[in-house]
Amino acid sequence: MPIKILAFAGSPRRHGNSEILLDWVLASMSEDRDIRMEKVVLTEADINPCRGCNACEALNKCIQRDGMDIYHDKIIEADCIVLSSPIYCMGLAAQVKALVDRAQVFRSRKYVLKLPVVPPERKGKRLGVFLSTAGQKWNYVFDAAIPSVKCFYHVIDIRDADIRYLMINGVDEKGAIEHHPTAQADAANLGKETVHELKKRLGL
Amino acid sequence: MEIKVLGISGSPHRHGNTETLLDSFLDGAHASGATIEKVVLKTLQYSPCRGCNACHKTGECVVNDDAIFLYEKILASDCLSVASPIYTMGITAELKGFIDRQQYIWARKFILKTLYFSDDHIKRHKGIFISTAGLGWENVFDGAFPVITALFNTTGFEYYDNVIANDMDRFGGIRNHPTALKDAFDKGMEIVAILEKLKTGS
Repeated sequence: MPIKILAFAGSPRRHGNSEILLDWVLASMSEDRDIRMEKVVLTEADINPCRGCNACEALNKCIQRDGMDIYHDKIIEADCIVLSSPIYCMGLAAQVKALVDRAQVFRSRKYVLKLPVVPPERKGKRLGVFLSTAGQKWNYVFDAAIPSVKCFYHVIDIRDADIRYLMINGVDEKGAIEHHPTAQADAANLGKETVHELKKRLGL
Repeated sequence: MEIKVLGISGSPHRHGNTETLLDSFLDGAHASGATIEKVVLKTLQYSPCRGCNACHKTGECVVNDDAIFLYEKILASDCLSVASPIYTMGITAELKGFIDRQQYIWARKFILKTLYFSDDHIKRHKGIFISTAGLGWENVFDGAFPVITALFNTTGFEYYDNVIANDMDRFGGIRNHPTALKDAFDKGMEIVAILEKLKTGS
């Protein structure tokens, strides 16, 4: 049984710092031959913002037909969901916020309709990884993004304790993260540790 | 002295709780004699920031769409009231998409140093955040405040106050909230009175 990793590259800037950080983690994960991964570039994923219509509370599905039709299913099927976002104006990039808000259908399923998001045998076995970079050096620069990230993972049945974080501040110009003293090694360790934990949980 | 109050509605849901609260604030400002204007983001055409950083060299955004037109309006206003419901512990993607586009103004201030707001300017330009949330948690707005602070800081507005109401799901909507709409109206009146005083120097 392969382990399925679904990764979202949230930055509108291709191959910038947050995507480099993501690529390091994914490269480390893919050293294990049981890993099957898919990397989704959000700017190419055709995910519209949530319309706030609340129809999903009754329909158990979103009324919008777009890229989320595919990613809705992939989010359920994945064993690990990796989300990367740069910090823009103290928050998630708008493209990432759109994805996070579209998880409303899972929130409706879980809390309004009281239906399972993943089958019971997969509950508590999934992991989330949040990766972020920020140009500012402030140590609180990620604080406003985290509550949204936690909500996103909660509604897709990934518990607080099952979210890993790697957030690197003070990297602004494209590629600046390459010169960071620890980011690459931390990313490699995170990838390895996450795969190890997934295998343990999945009994592989 | 004309006081210009601009209201930006960041909700995708027309005439819902947040826009109704914004309307009440603008009604209060109008009752105090201000010129009011409301812009609904979902009726505009704009794309989110591309993160290309071209503005760091030129001070201009490479994308010329309604976001630029709205930033021009913001810079010509005395009061900026910006409204968003809380979705997933933050502002909506529409409003975040608009706020991220301010990067060219940020670049003018901090990289190119071609734009500067004096303390006096900032004092005479007030920002108000208007929001509603379905959840009753006290911390439900916490993820939104730093982003709104970034908007007001970049565009030269003093973050004057919030008009916020949580627990909408329990109240069954803003119209059933005991105080929110009146508080918003009063805040609109208050802010115009203060701005007028500052403008006339009395």
